[in-house]
Amino acid sequence: MSSHAIRAGTKQVRPILSTDRHEARQRVLNLYKAWYRQLPYIVKQYDIPKSVDSLKQKLREEFRKNDHLQDIRVIDMLVVKGQMELKETVNFWKQKGTFMSYFKDTVEPKPKDFLSKFLSGHN
Amino acid sequence: MASLLLRSGALKKCPNLKWSIASLSTTSSRLSDDVSKAVKQKEAPQITHDTALLNPEEIEQRKRLQGYITVDAQSNVAPITGQPEEHVKGRLVRIYEPAKNAMQSGTDNTGHWEMDFDTRERWENPLMGWCSSGDPLSNMKVQFSSKEEAIRHCEKNGWEWYIQESSFEKPFKPKSYGVNFSWNKRTRVSTK
Repeated sequence: MSSHAIRAGTKQVRPILSTDRHEARQRVLNLYKAWYRQLPYIVKQYDIPKSVDSLKQKLREEFRKNDHLQDIRVIDMLVVKGQMELKETVNFWKQKGTFMSYFKDTVEPKPKDFLSKFLSGHN
Repeated sequence: MASLLLRSGALKKCPNLKWSIASLSTTSSRLSDDVSKAVKQKEAPQITHDTALLNPEEIEQRKRLQGYITVDAQSNVAPITGQPEEHVKGRLVRIYEPAKNAMQSGTDNTGHWEMDFDTRERWENPLMGWCSSGDPLSNMKVQFSSKEEAIRHCEKNGWEWYIQESSFEKPFKPKSYGVNFSWNKRTRVSTK
């Protein structure tokens, strides 16, 4: 019943930061490097119970989450957001708990199979 | 200044007239005396202070940003809207045409398309008995002027959607008075 409209083709739009895929990729890599270099300082500054290696792994995971994106404008916007987040982190505008929320240590996974859904009282 | 002096005739008596005009006048006032000359004159290109400080590559980049790029017609903005993933994946949107108010004969507030989300868990508030829900999208209804617009919006936001058939498009039943007297249907009623 539900469906997806298949709309092939392309359209002409105004760019945000990058005008081609190569440039967008370069921006993403630069952002990744900037975060990567900041990680040891983050561990020290925020005094979090995580190692630099686990932060590296998390960083990679966060970037990999969006590796399927094709639209250059969306990639650019994510890069801008990532830069803002890095700035917040470096300037210590974030709290320790906010930073730890990347790891979702306290979030219980939602029940998936029938019995655990029934036992938790939710459906 | 020079034109003023010219008009007043103060310089007419000067033996070396040409020399004294050139020495007194500035460029713009001299050009304003003769319009055709002013039109022909080429002006230096104006450079704003921010472009003057840029590298050639930066100017090139700025020019390119003024143009257009080609992207896929269907783009998903869900990653940058900031909504949690649980409200993008697994949500089903119903696109429908709201029916006429059954209590009134007017057809106001109809003729557009709306979208709303599937129902998530609801419970009765233990204190007051109010209906509660933890779903932020439960009361979100968005109006569109056409079905296609609603579909486009859902596609852009990455929601799965379905279309509920319109209640307005009823098949038209042709009726005619003559059918009551047709010879092959049992619709003819005797007058006696």
